[in-house]
Amino acid sequence: MDDEAAPARRRSDRARAVPLLAIAALGVSALIFDLTDPLRLPGDGDYAEAAAALRVQAGPRDAVQVWPSWADRARMFVRSLPVRVEEDLRAADYPGVDRLWLLALPRVPLAKLSGARAALRQRGAVAGEELRFGALSLQPWDLRGPRVLSFLTDPLEEHEVDYVPRQCVQVRIGRPADPGRLQARGQGGVLHVRAGVVGERAYQVARGPVRIEVQVDGAPVATLNVPPTVPPAPGWRRLDAAVPAGERAFAFLVSARDPDRPFCLSAWTTAP
Amino acid sequence: MSRRLPLALGALTFAALFATQSGVGFVRDEGYYFEAARSYEQWVLLLLRAPAAALRDTGRYWSANFEHPGLAKLLFALSHLVFTTWLRWLPDALAFRLPAFAFGALLTYWLAVLGAQRSRAAAVFGPALFWGAEGTFFHGHLACLDIPICALTAGVGVAWARAIGILDPSPSPPSPPSSSSPPKKKLFFFRPRTWELPPPAVRNGVLLGFLFGSGLAVKHNAWLLPPVLLVHALLLPAALRGRALRTLPWLLVGPAVLFVAWPLLWHDPVRHLGDWVSFHTHHVHYAWYYLGRELRGPPFPIFYPLVLLALVLPVTQVALFAAAGAKLLWDFAHRSLSPLRLLELGLAGAAILPFMIRTTPIFGGIKHWLAFIALLAPEAGHLLDRAAGLASHVGLPRARALAIAAAAALLPGWWQIAHVHPYGTSAYGELAGGIPGAASLGIQRQYWSNNVTAVLPWLNAHAPRGARVFFHEVNPESYRAYQQAGMLRADIQYAAGPWDAQYAALQWHREFRDREPETWNAFGTKTPATGLYLDETPQIVVYARPGLPGAP
Repeated sequence: MDDEAAPARRRSDRARAVPLLAIAALGVSALIFDLTDPLRLPGDGDYAEAAAALRVQAGPRDAVQVWPSWADRARMFVRSLPVRVEEDLRAADYPGVDRLWLLALPRVPLAKLSGARAALRQRGAVAGEELRFGALSLQPWDLRGPRVLSFLTDPLEEHEVDYVPRQCVQVRIGRPADPGRLQARGQGGVLHVRAGVVGERAYQVARGPVRIEVQVDGAPVATLNVPPTVPPAPGWRRLDAAVPAGERAFAFLVSARDPDRPFCLSAWTTAP
Repeated sequence: MSRRLPLALGALTFAALFATQSGVGFVRDEGYYFEAARSYEQWVLLLLRAPAAALRDTGRYWSANFEHPGLAKLLFALSHLVFTTWLRWLPDALAFRLPAFAFGALLTYWLAVLGAQRSRAAAVFGPALFWGAEGTFFHGHLACLDIPICALTAGVGVAWARAIGILDPSPSPPSPPSSSSPPKKKLFFFRPRTWELPPPAVRNGVLLGFLFGSGLAVKHNAWLLPPVLLVHALLLPAALRGRALRTLPWLLVGPAVLFVAWPLLWHDPVRHLGDWVSFHTHHVHYAWYYLGRELRGPPFPIFYPLVLLALVLPVTQVALFAAAGAKLLWDFAHRSLSPLRLLELGLAGAAILPFMIRTTPIFGGIKHWLAFIALLAPEAGHLLDRAAGLASHVGLPRARALAIAAAAALLPGWWQIAHVHPYGTSAYGELAGGIPGAASLGIQRQYWSNNVTAVLPWLNAHAPRGARVFFHEVNPESYRAYQQAGMLRADIQYAAGPWDAQYAALQWHREFRDREPETWNAFGTKTPATGLYLDETPQIVVYARPGLPGAP
């Protein structure tokens, strides 16, 4: 009887070690993850090499997009071209950018670099050769977007809308009887207007919408309503409209019942 | 029970907090509490000099930070009065923080007392598991209210257990853990002599009332304790229930302690109590970044506090605390929970459940429900001890099994502390993918502005004399505290915004993203001069106007 019971008893004894083994395995796994952390992160040297490569290879109509979008320590090193931190690479505008350099940290947890690349492909961008600088990946993407004819707002000024810095200019919101007004001259084509409320006031739903009336050569051609942001709906609103070719006078009349909000507007035209 | 081990562990906690405090920035709330403590210190000095005037003018001195009772801040004030104003032994901030370290030590002491009811190893593991994560260790350093109320919750638990006779005053030396399960279908399995149920000692009742009152006088969380103790009493078997119900009235001492420890109530108490209640019933909901969305108001995700704990703590602690909670619930469901473990379960539940009702403000990371994991810690320590004990049955020497258990459970947390301290609000555990993983998940990057300490030396070295610096989320109170502590040059001025500043030290918060482009536009540069990047994630980003020292 004893001989028959012995194997079962040994299995039972071994099973008693399982809780400690489980804790030890968890602890070792955690330590491996923790201690290998530096291997997943770029150093200053990696950034310096990437920045040098960009200085040599990038052109005047290029920009850098960091990925993950929070990884903008790159700003300290990349000074030769604009650094963008867009979160939705499929929908982002990148006006005036022919080639986008995706500067990524592929090894950091949850980086989802493949998702970023897929988003660029979905918008028709074509990938170039990927370069590696330690824990950094640098890959050029030909965006194949339409040619910009005129920037109607200053692309150097930026404000935050939807928690992303946007190339837009701040415009006063006026009351409906006395709207804020932004005027510019530029070439007709496809007019792109983007606008949103800056900061947390975008999310105050009691404030009501902001209305933008777009006039070309004094005639209204379109309106864009920017309602309070209720996620997941975007706060950065879009309007695209065809405008006859040739030099045009554009005016954007911005009004709301509640004008006490910082408001930001971006406009440019592209070839049809 | 010998108190030597809990006392030694408490002293060790105090020493560890004291030794690691210097880099911990002054969080926003500390700024307010420092100011309040200064005001209270003036009142104490007046009380010593002219008692009648002090009694008459309580409102003038105690109105500062009226939204929280006065005890913790009074202790900060007394510590400052003694160690800085009179003895000149300690710098201001360290003197204010000293009582906080003492509360941390008390928490360790009480957790060790609870753990010691199971075994000597559990007495060590319990507090070690609680403190062995940057998310908790960081809070132990602050002259704030979160660790004090956490400690007093545990203290009230211990005092209640002692008063109703469920805390064995001298547990036997640790017996070798047995593989057998606790007795099933039986509510109690502690030492028979506690069945004798001597009448509650007056001193135990007084201590219970005093600690409960101290809790009330620290933070409003303590108002949840009487219902927990009442339910605990009602769930006890008849013999104990009567004694517990007879002990409950000692809690009436609590409001008296609150009144004495909060001189603001000495005149017009109804109005001040009303202001206190009103502040918290109408508390603003700060924006809080959670799994990719900003939470701005109710309803909040029901499992928010549990998910956040899972993401913040090292994974081994997460597993052990989860196992402890599950074991307590399992034994409760099977009526095999001892009265003491039932009490721990009740106190832990009461610490976290208010944050799962979907309307309670949820900002501030895990600090508001620290008592949840604290009260699970003795059980978690016990499970760790049992795992080692079971393994010793297969030939592994018990000491070695304990060492393996301790190393596996604690080393990831110690690494986290070594890696992230003193930037405790930025710490995330392995389940989140560390700090970068949390950033990608869309979790609050940091809060309270204390990480700014990382860039103060740079500002001191580069900013010209009288430079104006926009400190963003650092409030004027904390800014002054940095100057008084010598961490920031006295000539550096506090700017109201980027337009008004030569330098800007921005704290990365999702809800404050507008500040960085605002700085770019004002300064005419998008290149940071320096910054604090933890595992690549931006925490503090410093900009300098072009041409100024340090500008890129």
